[in-house]
Amino acid sequence: MATERVLTRNVGRASARTVRGYRESGGYEALARALKMQPEEIVEEVKKSGLRGRGGAGFPCGAKWSFVPRGAGRPKYIVCNADESEPGTFKDRLLMEHDPHQLIEGCVIAGKAVEANTTYIYIRGEYTQATRVLEEAIRDAYDQGVLGSSVLGSGFRHDVYVHRGAGAYICGEETGLLESLEGRRGQPRVKPPFPAVVGAFGAPTVINNVETLCCVTHILQRGADWFRAIGTDERNTGPKLYAISGHVERPGTYEYPIGVPFQELLDGCGGMYKGRALKAFIPGGASAPMLTAAERGIRMDFDTLAKAGSMLGSAAVIVMDETTCVVRAALRLARFFAHESCGQCTPCREGTNWMRIVLERIECGAGSESDVDLLAHVVPNVGGISLCALGDAAQGPVRSLVQKFGDEIRDNLRNHRYPLPRVPFFDLGAAS
Amino acid sequence: MPIVTIDDRTVEVPAGTNLIEAALEVGVQIPHYCYHPRLSVVGQCRMCMVEIQGMPKLQAACSTQVVKDGMVVRTASPQAAEAQRAIMEFLLINHPLDCPICDQAGECGLQDYSFKHGDSFSRFRFEEKRTYPHKERIPLGPTVLLNMNRCIHCTRCIRFTREVSRTSELSFFERGSHTEIGTVPGHPLDNPLATCVVDLCPVGALTSTRFRFAERVWYLDKKPSICAGCDVGCNVTLEHRRGAIRRYKPRLNPEVNDYWMCDHGRASHERYAELPRLSAPGLRREGTLQATGWRDALDALFQALRAKRADGATAILGSGFLSTEEAYLLRRLAAFVETPHLSFWVDSGAARHIPNPRGGITGHDAAPNRRGAELAGLRPGPGGIDAESLLLEEGAAGCATLFVADSDFGKAAHDPRVVERLRRARFLAVMGWADTPLARAADLVLPVATHAEREGTWINADGRLQRFERAFPAPAQCRPALDVLIDLLARFDPKWASANAAVVFDVMAEEIAALSGLRWAEIPATGAALAAAPAEAGA
Repeated sequence: MATERVLTRNVGRASARTVRGYRESGGYEALARALKMQPEEIVEEVKKSGLRGRGGAGFPCGAKWSFVPRGAGRPKYIVCNADESEPGTFKDRLLMEHDPHQLIEGCVIAGKAVEANTTYIYIRGEYTQATRVLEEAIRDAYDQGVLGSSVLGSGFRHDVYVHRGAGAYICGEETGLLESLEGRRGQPRVKPPFPAVVGAFGAPTVINNVETLCCVTHILQRGADWFRAIGTDERNTGPKLYAISGHVERPGTYEYPIGVPFQELLDGCGGMYKGRALKAFIPGGASAPMLTAAERGIRMDFDTLAKAGSMLGSAAVIVMDETTCVVRAALRLARFFAHESCGQCTPCREGTNWMRIVLERIECGAGSESDVDLLAHVVPNVGGISLCALGDAAQGPVRSLVQKFGDEIRDNLRNHRYPLPRVPFFDLGAAS
Repeated sequence: MPIVTIDDRTVEVPAGTNLIEAALEVGVQIPHYCYHPRLSVVGQCRMCMVEIQGMPKLQAACSTQVVKDGMVVRTASPQAAEAQRAIMEFLLINHPLDCPICDQAGECGLQDYSFKHGDSFSRFRFEEKRTYPHKERIPLGPTVLLNMNRCIHCTRCIRFTREVSRTSELSFFERGSHTEIGTVPGHPLDNPLATCVVDLCPVGALTSTRFRFAERVWYLDKKPSICAGCDVGCNVTLEHRRGAIRRYKPRLNPEVNDYWMCDHGRASHERYAELPRLSAPGLRREGTLQATGWRDALDALFQALRAKRADGATAILGSGFLSTEEAYLLRRLAAFVETPHLSFWVDSGAARHIPNPRGGITGHDAAPNRRGAELAGLRPGPGGIDAESLLLEEGAAGCATLFVADSDFGKAAHDPRVVERLRRARFLAVMGWADTPLARAADLVLPVATHAEREGTWINADGRLQRFERAFPAPAQCRPALDVLIDLLARFDPKWASANAAVVFDVMAEEIAALSGLRWAEIPATGAALAAAPAEAGA
């Protein structure tokens, strides 16, 4: 497979953070092309590329843009979702810290495509460095005429604002993000209406992930056909960042064509930590159901993972080796979701906490086999009927725990093996 | 209009109708907590999940609109029923289940849906329930108490303060399973409509300080009535036990008070319990009021009114608490007596605004029926002594007989100086339910029914004529004022003897142009809007 670095070509090249330095690697050529195109042509090009949203849901980007009502008569907004809060995910941070102009270029192109004059980049509050880099880059872009009343002298106006979040996971959900952006309590809205019709400040709004907008830049620069050629098939196209963490030798963010097999990913980052055996892995961030070692050959794209009962999500791969207590791992995630549930809808508010309590009981050794049945019954009710995707997200890891490790947990419970021993990730004592 | 099929029943509804409302059209009740027809749709409780043909997942009925033909909805399919059961389970695992000491028991959404959609056992056996320590009785404001442990987070109360009262005192605090309702420090829930959040609360989380622990709701008799607190005329459900009113709850009338009523109105019935009650007709003999029979009392009044004495006038004073029929009979009485000294008094009150879909109604009177008294013609003839002259000046001094038809017509009835002024009439007759200083000063008292004990019509600030019904009988010796006046008129003209409220109204409607075409039996349940300006009544 091709190993050309596309999204990460400027990573490590500090000069790329200025407009001048960014231009050296072909920067803002895509924007110049886009400004000469009709909005519909840009949308068509993105549709043709097969680009699917990189934030988690994998919704076709071009289709999302085409839902926005045409015509420049009323305000419309581009919102860049940079609230990268899915546990295990750290790809957008890399893009923003090392190549801010790639994102800004994508924002302006999206603005041109739906005739929006304003972008809000809603950035995770903890990303202070990324915020600083982005703000400097935006200032530079204004100075160089890339942003402002006439983008690259075309007469098209576009402004970009950075808005820092305050650290709630739920503000990464697109309507929760909008509520927060508008200054309210960050809790998702009931849909429909969808943001493309009624979004930020009641106006039509496109909400795209950082990586998605960065992809747009390259689609406009090198063409939809080039983009389509990368990846598994016509439904899974383009380059993809994978954020790998857990029991591997060299955790980090890696760029591959979408659909790279998990084993290749694992080999690419040096294999399992200390050569231990793989037990399970989460392919797409905390909300993706776990997969087992037996599924290590799976292609990491949207449709293959969905078919396997999991999801690509944000492509945050969390690798767990044989020393892992899977119940403890699931409990850690359950705690996270119970803590981050916004509390407005019943199944998520009550169900996430209930799952946490039952998992805590099993993990500490006070559980019984009936608790596994209880989880199997309760968990499906948390997802599916919740107001937003957090309920679905929260039940993913626990559902897969019961499905794939149910027998193992029952066996451990029968033999009173819980709590399982804790194996420190780093053996600090042996270092000296 | 699109056609939708709900549980095999087909109905045509306006495009944009949500499924809960559409289902009601065919008699299907979709369970829900957070949805309310006058509040924004938030889809939070997830109780109204239904199956829609062609949709992969269950949908919330409240946020699903009927937009085009052919939607097929199943509200009780196995999938939908399982979702509803699951939501009930989720709501109950952390609910204290303290029904025996909860005011809401008997009218609780959790009880009702638990019975209909829930399990009869709990799978939450070993866990400790989530509680909000020290938040069992938080005063949100002067009239509303919050028990956070019982809350199901439907946010109806929050949305009410944002969207209806427009005061925004309430909000969510914290998040996840510790999410709680509260007020921002320094901004208590003290808007005039505050207690409406208690009605909206589907569970016992919000309770009214007025009604708390007053009565188990299943002991209450509920009768439709109208609030007498001001001239908005809010439709209420009067809830009483053996004649003791426990509370008013707003009764839907989109033309008047919609789903709402104000705290002042809710408290207005307390006057019936606070003031001492006139219990028997009384006649002053040798300086003291002594109990007498109705026949003697009415004979005495008849004699006093009929005797056209040369040494003074005969004056009649009505009030804004009289029904339109009673006011009309007072005018007929004045005609028999041939006196021009006919008037009525209404205290002005604070401006009270009740929102409704057409914007709302604002009342400014402290009594419900100033417009009815005006329409019936309670006004002085040429040279007549008016109410101001009687109450504020020395008008009564020139009266041989003064008949005050309401012992509690306003604040003045409790003012010793005013009472003394009225007392200057040589014969003072007072009718009313309350034993006020005025009644105690009278030569003749006639105990009558409160508005809960009689029937009649009132005309509100919007010019809407509304009928109120008798909720329970008056105490033994008390009679509806209308019957008393009929008995009195029958002494002048026997044909009145067979009259009742319906007859009086119909006679009145034939005489007064603004009421033409109306008949007692045909007054709509939501009231009848009268022609803009009440027409002059024939004198």
